[in-house]
Formats: sequence, C-alpha cells, structure tokens
Amino acid sequence: MQGIANREGSIAGLLAEVTQEFATSLNVEDTLQDAIDQIIDYLQAEAASIFLLDEADRSLICRKCAGPVDITGLRLALGQGIVGATVDSNQLQLVRDVSQHTQFAASIDRDTGFSTRSILCVPLAVRGQCIGALELINKRGGDGLFGASDVHLATAVAAAAALAIHNARMTQVLVEQERMRKELELARAIQISLLPPTDSTLPIHGLNLPARQVSGDFYDYVMLADGRIYFCIADVAGKGINAALLMAKTTSLLRCLAKTIRDPAALLAQVNVEVFETASLGMFVTIIAGFVAADRRSIQFANAGHHAPLQRLADGRYRELTATAPPLGVVAELSATTQSLALADGSIYLFTDGLTEARDGSGRALGLAGLKAVLESVNAVPSPTRLSAAVSVLEAQHRHFHDDITLVLVNGDER
Amino acid sequence: MVYQVKKDSGFAIIHLVGDIDLSCSPEARKAILDSLGAGQPTLVDLSGVTYIDSSGVANLVEGYQTAKKKSLEFGLLGVSEAAFSVLELARLDKVFPIHGSLKERLAKNG
Repeated sequence: MQGIANREGSIAGLLAEVTQEFATSLNVEDTLQDAIDQIIDYLQAEAASIFLLDEADRSLICRKCAGPVDITGLRLALGQGIVGATVDSNQLQLVRDVSQHTQFAASIDRDTGFSTRSILCVPLAVRGQCIGALELINKRGGDGLFGASDVHLATAVAAAAALAIHNARMTQVLVEQERMRKELELARAIQISLLPPTDSTLPIHGLNLPARQVSGDFYDYVMLADGRIYFCIADVAGKGINAALLMAKTTSLLRCLAKTIRDPAALLAQVNVEVFETASLGMFVTIIAGFVAADRRSIQFANAGHHAPLQRLADGRYRELTATAPPLGVVAELSATTQSLALADGSIYLFTDGLTEARDGSGRALGLAGLKAVLESVNAVPSPTRLSAAVSVLEAQHRHFHDDITLVLVNGDER
Repeated sequence: MVYQVKKDSGFAIIHLVGDIDLSCSPEARKAILDSLGAGQPTLVDLSGVTYIDSSGVANLVEGYQTAKKKSLEFGLLGVSEAAFSVLELARLDKVFPIHGSLKERLAKNG
C-alpha cells in the first residue's frame, strides 16, 4: 500500500511539475521534450512520442520522442497506425497486443528495428479539436500492459501539453501580427515622408488616404528651376516594407532624373532599367510621370501600366488617355509614349485603382463611371479642396476602401 | 479561389478559378513557382477567373520573369474578360504570351 501511495504521490508531483512547466515555459519545444522524458520514466514505458497534425496536408508528424529509436520527423497519414486512428477519432486507444490490432502500422517497426508490443495513445485536444497525440509504447516490467492509472496520467499530461502547444501557436500568431503591424506602420511612415508638402502656388493638388493594410501608392510634384513642374502618381504592387522601399527608390530616382531628362517617356524608360534590375521578382510599379509646362498651358506625360488619367472637358465629358507601356519592373526595356494635353481643355485627374475599386454596401465597385459622377458632383468646388470634397462624397456613399486612395488634380482653371 | 494543376502535352497547366486577391494570391504564387521550380513549361488558365487584383497580377509577373530566367515557357490560357480588362489596362496583355486554349498554343508549334 505504501508503494502505491508513494507512486500516486509522485504521479501527482509529476503532473503538478509538468503542468507548471507548460504554464510558465516560453519554449514549448523544450518543455515538450522534458515532459516526454519524464513521462516514460514515471510510467515505465520503453518509448514515447508526440505527433502533431499538419493542417496543410492533414498528415501527422512526430515532433518529439524518447526511447531507443529516434523517429522525430516521421510522417504518417491521418488515420494511419494507432496514432492516426487516435487523432482521426479524437479517442484514446489502449492496445494491449498490437499484433492482434488491424490498425497497427507494422512497417515502422520493420524500418526502425523496434519491437512494439503494447500502446497507449491519447489525443492532444483543445476545445474538442484534436491537434495531435501522445503515444506511449511497451510498458516495462509487470505484465507489460498499460493500466488505468497510466491512462489517467497520460490523459492529464496530454491535456496540459495540448493547451501549451495551442497557447504557443496563438502567441506565435500574435507575434507575427505584431511584426506585420510594425512593418506596415514603418512602411506608412516612409510613404508619408515621401509625399510633397502642400504648395498653394502650384496648380497641382494631391491627396492620399491610406488603407489599413496596404501601402503602395505615392504621388509627388516639385517645381523645377526652369519653371516646369514635375509630377507623378504611382502604385507599387505589394505591401509592407518592400513596397515602401521600392516606392522610396522610384520616387527619388524620378525626382533626380526629372531635372535632366525632359521627355517623360525617356524618364520612365530610364527609371525602368533600375527598377527592373533591382526589384524583387513580381514587384512592379504602375506610374504616370510628366511635366506641367512653364507657361502652365499644357502637360506632357507618359503612362506605364497606370489607370488612364481623366480630363474633364468644358461640356462635362471626360477624356481618357490610356497607358502605352506596361508597368515599371516587368520588362527589361520599356517603350512608353509621351502624350500631351492642353490645360485649356480642362482639369486633369490622376488616380490609383483603390479609388475605382472602392465598394459600396452591396459590394459594387465604384468603377470609372462612378468616379466620373463623383468628380462631376464636386466640379464647382475650388481646386485646393476639391479632392477632399470628392472623398467626402465617397464616404457619404458608405464606400469601403480596401486599398489606398490617391488622387492628383492638375488644375486647368488657373494659369 | 480554387486551383487545379494538370499535365498536358508537356505543359503544367495551372487552372485558377474565382477571385484572385490578396487573401489567396500566395497560394496561386506557390503553385506557379513550384511548377516553374520543377522545370516545367507552365501555362496559367485564367478562363475561370472572376476578379484579379494587383497581388494576383504580381504573381503572373513573377511567373513570367522566373520563367524567363530559367528559359522556360510561360503563358496564359483562355483569359476571362474580368482578368483581361485588368491586364489590358496595365498594358500587360502585350507582355504575357496569351493563347485562347491549349489547342491554340499547340497549333503554334506547327
């Protein structure tokens, strides 16, 4: 009796120790290994292993083991062997003689040279969902069979282990979310730092409304020494730091080269060479870059894969000039065309697709026709506040913005 | 989005169906890059695509550029109207080899 009491006392001690370790450990991998080492000792098992379910392909992979044969990394199909059956059914399996059991995967013994006789396998479950199993093999001494007290202990340890694994995974998700949040915050800070200051003396106005997640738009304008005004609007495919850095690089290159390259198509071709050579595969920039003439009567621009700018004509119709080249970064040599518009014909709106993609309550995108209607409704608003008036109209329509909203207005009314 | 990969006439054909947006484009990207990584000429069937955003287009661009580096063929098949309008807007319809169907692509061999 004394022996049993001692053993029960030590089992309670083990449980307390293991659950405490799981509760406080920051390293669930090490804790699982400690737990499995202790459990084969206390339960007098020859070997033990922890299999976890890989949700991607619904297979089971051995993450930890203790005993004479190292099977870490061993993969089993869900339903294969006693472990597979345990996870599949989320039910404990107590097999006293594996040779009589149809689900026993004998091939593993053949491969490892280990001889399995009896198995106790308990599911690792959190809130009824099975995430893996703890398997104990071959009871040492006595009749070589696992008993009721082994089942109780293994079940309790499995519950603590399952919770610890679940918590560690949740922590990992939170850490990753926090990392993403910080990265997007930084990307946004880079993006804001690149936007030009408002300058009421220029006939250009810009607006950028960042989306919660995506940060790939930018616009820029600056007066050059000869009186022309360089401008651009662009959308970098992608998000986060990579997109922000590509944006920073592109905008700096453009600003610098715009001082010496007068032709917008040549300017984009030159910047494309750099973007193509250095950007990660798959990253690209849709862009319109150009110049307002020094006399402010016309603009010249080139469009690489970007939405066509809209020019509002005197009769309320909108002229579109579509892109003539693919985005920057896609092909080695970009051959864009320089296009011209007379500002006397009307104001020109440049925008990114976050605007035309803005969806209403029923999921319908604004589209080009919707955008024209919005612009028309704010046409009488003075140019410095016209873009924010357009956004107010969109907000009044309860539109949901998935992407950045960026708008640039080159005003044709003031010269 | 759902996708299916099959082999036909020496090509890996990746059939993308549904909306290709930020939520699923990593899956589409993996399918395309895995196929090219295995050294297979790859065609992406866009006939069932109902919407594609810039992250989806970026996957196609990455596939196109990766294939070029590996000297493998890469092209698009049966591009749906929804996908074509996006590619056309960005002038990418002039960049990607686009075929109406596999049959049409194979006819170009002769």
